[in-house]
Amino acid sequence: MELTEDEVIQILRLIEESSFDELSLMMGDIKLVVRKRINANAVEEEPAIKPPTESVIAEKPVIELRREKPESKVQKIEDKAAEILEEGFLPIKSPMLGTFYMRPAPGAPPYLEVGSFVEEGDTVCLMEVMKVFNAVKAGVRGYIAKILPESGQLVEYGQTLFLVSPGDRIEKKEIKA
Amino acid sequence: MKNISRVLVANRGEIAVRIITACKGLGIESVAAVSEADKDSMPAKIADRVICIGPPRPTDSYLRADTILCAALGTGSDAIHPGYGFLSEQPELAESCRGNNLIFIGPSPESLRQMGNKLLARKIVKGYSIPVIPGSEKVGDLKEAYKIVKEIGFPVLIKAAAGGGGRGIKIVTNPDELKITFETAAAEARIAFGDETLYFERFFPNARHIEVQIVGDHFGNVIHAGERDCSLQRRYQKVVEEAPAPSISNKLREEIRKAGVTIAKNMKYESLGTVEFILDQDSNQFYFLEMNTRIQVEHPVTEMISGIDLVKEQIRIAANYRLSLSQSDVRLAGHAIECRINAESPELGFQPCPGQITHWLQPQGIGIRVDSHCYSGYFISPYYDSLIAKVITLGADRSQAIDRMRYALKNFVVAGIDTTIPFLSYILNQPDYIKRQVNTSWIEHILDRPLYYTNNKHYDLRRVT
Repeated sequence: MELTEDEVIQILRLIEESSFDELSLMMGDIKLVVRKRINANAVEEEPAIKPPTESVIAEKPVIELRREKPESKVQKIEDKAAEILEEGFLPIKSPMLGTFYMRPAPGAPPYLEVGSFVEEGDTVCLMEVMKVFNAVKAGVRGYIAKILPESGQLVEYGQTLFLVSPGDRIEKKEIKA
Repeated sequence: MKNISRVLVANRGEIAVRIITACKGLGIESVAAVSEADKDSMPAKIADRVICIGPPRPTDSYLRADTILCAALGTGSDAIHPGYGFLSEQPELAESCRGNNLIFIGPSPESLRQMGNKLLARKIVKGYSIPVIPGSEKVGDLKEAYKIVKEIGFPVLIKAAAGGGGRGIKIVTNPDELKITFETAAAEARIAFGDETLYFERFFPNARHIEVQIVGDHFGNVIHAGERDCSLQRRYQKVVEEAPAPSISNKLREEIRKAGVTIAKNMKYESLGTVEFILDQDSNQFYFLEMNTRIQVEHPVTEMISGIDLVKEQIRIAANYRLSLSQSDVRLAGHAIECRINAESPELGFQPCPGQITHWLQPQGIGIRVDSHCYSGYFISPYYDSLIAKVITLGADRSQAIDRMRYALKNFVVAGIDTTIPFLSYILNQPDYIKRQVNTSWIEHILDRPLYYTNNKHYDLRRVT
């Protein structure tokens, strides 16, 4: 199973014009995930300083090509994409009410970003309740597909923090020109 | 309202509904802090905003002061209303509010501390020359216990210093029981309150429970809004309350009210509070029992006869307003009764009966008020106490209030779960109750009567089939 550059560009055009933010495509042993990056360069807020910046920077879609275990049957692009958007993700929910932080300390790199791979025991964020910080574990294994709250935001008990595309780690493969 | 524009309601059930309603009346926004089990509850439906604070178990949600504080700050609330129970009498929450620039809708942490420890409260009140129930200081060990019991005599009550509200009380009727009861009381107090300090109090077999509603502000004004009689109790929990206290002389009534105000004034009390007394009917002497430093379950009977919205007044006071009325403005008229309806099965020893309410039809009519958070389809969670509604009736006099209560109970339809409605109907029809020949042990005697209940199946009107 091969994808030509022309086909990839065609797919990109499709998703750019569509109302979806993300497209996952599985064809045989190839898995293609295309995502419109929103907020990619927005500066992440440091714990308890200022309100989150509202800048939305539209970027060119990012392509990741993942090779998956060989699978048969080609399916229709549209159907599959919609299905995965609705059903394919697992949520990581907040185990407590508190303030949500993406970094262990101001200036430190975030625990993860969209596309990061997490194992069950990995810390995904911090929750602060009255100056006490609690580490939140992923509880699932897979790729982070979406980060829902803004860092520094009050989060309820049970609120979904992350959407994870479940599965094992997959080696990335460069697209051949 | 200046100072308070948004209130976090840190409670659940009917009192959360009551507080949110008062906020709406004052033009204040309300935030309902709910556990996961209460996301569909009535407070969640009527508040301006809802925030889920944790899992159903109270220790993981409604009892977590840090989480409640975080929720208040995070939602931009400027005050916390703790309701009753849960964190309402915890000085720690009131103190943290102070430290975080939040208003705690209740008294000062100092007042909470003084009255929260029942031994300390007895000592303070004694200092104001108000009679307290004859009893002991802290009882350290069994040897001391035997000595003290010799002085007080049997029966005697063993109480936990950190208890209150009818919790942590055991009765000892003869010397043989003393050892085992004393030991189990200490163990239970340690688990329930984290403090095994015990003290002894004389038990009055023929007593009434009379309490005074206190309202104080931050400017040194303290008034009372009359008294309530809460003598009908089962296992030290109130079942039926009324106001004013019937069949006591006006002289005694005034003395009790005055004693309540004296205590609150001396301790510079700055909120709603209730001073509870035991009236020994054999000697006609009253004694201080304890003070509850919060809004009480039975506050509506006082509201009905005084016309004062106590919860609104409590919020106004917390926002640093002066009392909206003086003592001479308080006009008490008529007679009010409250019945507490619990999701319990009277036939099964009042076993709690959680489950889904399939039908819920509240009684209506002149002089009938129902405070509740329930509705058809509501699921009564097993995690919390079993109070599902309070029916309050107002009459021109006591007999009219009783008539209206009988009508209200008879026409209250609850299906899907067992409730105490049939039991309450039974009580309201007892000649002793009507003639006011009751005391705090009366309900237990009633329950001892063989087949008291099964012979009265016609009171059972709760089922819709």
